[in-house]
Amino acid sequence: MSSTTFEPTPPSRGEHGGTAGNTANNTAGNRAGDSLSTGPGPSFPRVLNSEFIKFRTLLSTLILLGCTVLVVVGFGALSAWGTGQFAEAASTDPEAAAAFAAQGGDLAVGVPTSGIAFAQLILGSLGVLLMSSEFTTGMARSTFAAVPKRLPAFAAKLLVVMVTAFVLTAASVFLAGLVSLPILDNYNLNLDLSSSQSVKMLLINSLYVAAVAAIGMALGAIIRNSAGGIMSLVGLFFVAPIAFQLIPGDFFVEARKYLPGNTVEPMIAVEHLPDALEAWQAALVLGAWVVVPVVLAAVLLKKRDV
Amino acid sequence: MIEARGLTKVYGEKTAVAGVNFTVEAGRVTGFLGPNGAGKSTTMRMIMGLDRPTSGSVTVNGVPFDRHHAPLRDVGALLDAKAVHTSRSAYNHLRAMAATHSIPKKRVHEVIEMTGLADVAKKKVGGFSLGMGQRLGIAAALLGDPQTVILDEPVNGLDPEGVVWVRNLVKYLASEGRTVFLSSHLMSEMAVTADHLIVIGRGKIIADAPIQDIINGKGRIRTRVRTDQPDQLMQLLAGDGVSVELQDNELLEVTGLDPRRIARAALDSHVMIYELTPLQASLEEAYMELTKDEVEYHSLITTGDHAPVPSGGN
Repeated sequence: MSSTTFEPTPPSRGEHGGTAGNTANNTAGNRAGDSLSTGPGPSFPRVLNSEFIKFRTLLSTLILLGCTVLVVVGFGALSAWGTGQFAEAASTDPEAAAAFAAQGGDLAVGVPTSGIAFAQLILGSLGVLLMSSEFTTGMARSTFAAVPKRLPAFAAKLLVVMVTAFVLTAASVFLAGLVSLPILDNYNLNLDLSSSQSVKMLLINSLYVAAVAAIGMALGAIIRNSAGGIMSLVGLFFVAPIAFQLIPGDFFVEARKYLPGNTVEPMIAVEHLPDALEAWQAALVLGAWVVVPVVLAAVLLKKRDV
Repeated sequence: MIEARGLTKVYGEKTAVAGVNFTVEAGRVTGFLGPNGAGKSTTMRMIMGLDRPTSGSVTVNGVPFDRHHAPLRDVGALLDAKAVHTSRSAYNHLRAMAATHSIPKKRVHEVIEMTGLADVAKKKVGGFSLGMGQRLGIAAALLGDPQTVILDEPVNGLDPEGVVWVRNLVKYLASEGRTVFLSSHLMSEMAVTADHLIVIGRGKIIADAPIQDIINGKGRIRTRVRTDQPDQLMQLLAGDGVSVELQDNELLEVTGLDPRRIARAALDSHVMIYELTPLQASLEEAYMELTKDEVEYHSLITTGDHAPVPSGGN
């Protein structure tokens, strides 16, 4: 480090005229109380910009985003291949043909979204991490000193992760569709990415992943611990559905429908599935799964010490 | 100006800050002295709105921190050298902070230069030494060019040059009329940096006085003297380093002379004195004395009489 470093370099006061009139000879006291700055404060667009800078300047975040694309596209391609094999078997084997028919015939439409379960895990964990790391690293003290009302920072973070999750999932699903097309074509299966069902599946799955990311972020804000937050998320989306299936009793069979991970199927179904929620009901349930933890997180964030 | 009124913070069973009142004036460096665990950091976090007071209030320029229109431009704080995401570069950290208040990138570069971080600004903060972390924290505190600067133990981990740099920086900031509030657990550091001192122990304010009182009082004894010839005694005792204050009709307070020499002087001149009471010693001794029982974590050495008092020598 150069020696000039240690000079008490006068901080420039030229930038912001708001505190004009501060001459070095000002005596104590006469500036107190009347010196609130008039420069730009933490308005929501500025806080959003800050959170977006924070989001994209972490290598780990970028790696997780890259992984999401790879996983969704990779599973799309694998699924296209598997579906093709299945269809091929169906054309020669009557047993396989019966199974194929039982699936409703149009398997290809689900190919691009076959990696969603993993996308939701990665982006949900990202949601947890973005919030919990604020607390585990101490960054929260900087964040909330700059935005002492706290909630704008939380809202900005939430918006950044949800929009990113939505856009990234939609793009990955579309890319997975493009990659699957030649593979499916090879097996004479038809996939129309512009069909209303394809578009619906893309949009609903992307919204769903955005919702999972929001739930993850809320868990991160409530639990303030990365491992704890991710485990809760995994518990809710991967363990609970299985556990509810294993526990005997009608209550758990019924309750299982209301788990957030089971809301997508009713929403993307072509026809109403037997013994399932209506699409609008499922949408409301998923909405509640987002709103309740997010509101709880916001209340706690406002109330607790950082 | 920072004003705390009845400021209290209770964590579970433990009272970290117990109803403190103090005012930090603009235009001077106010030191916040106390042993580790005395409540300094908690108080500073409450000023910054990060910890919610259990009761009482604290304002900066008359307004609670979270009601400031542009908080970073009014108050800059180094509360913890590690209040940074370890995987982000120093530059990106400052840029993100600056973005909340539309502080231009030019200013980000300025504070990086000012704090000597130019060489490492693009590196991840996780690899920083404690001293580098402190510099980054100070850079962040100065980002908004704030009127009020709060620094919690800023010289921790700094090399000697850095310590001098911080000392000069805070003095410069105060000379510009800013409010500077600086904490330390080291009396010696405060003695050379602060203009005014607020001493805290176990969450209570022990002393709130100009630093000059402490320096003058170092190693000296105040004595209360009652005599029916106060004017004569005042003349007798007058001398270098001695101050005599007439407090009442026949009551003097003498600083800089021990009782034996006051008595001798009085006796030699046939001045009758009818009270001679040694008062509390210097603020520093008072600090050590008061904090002796207030310190939460005793080390073996400091239980000795006076030996390791970090007083900067005498």
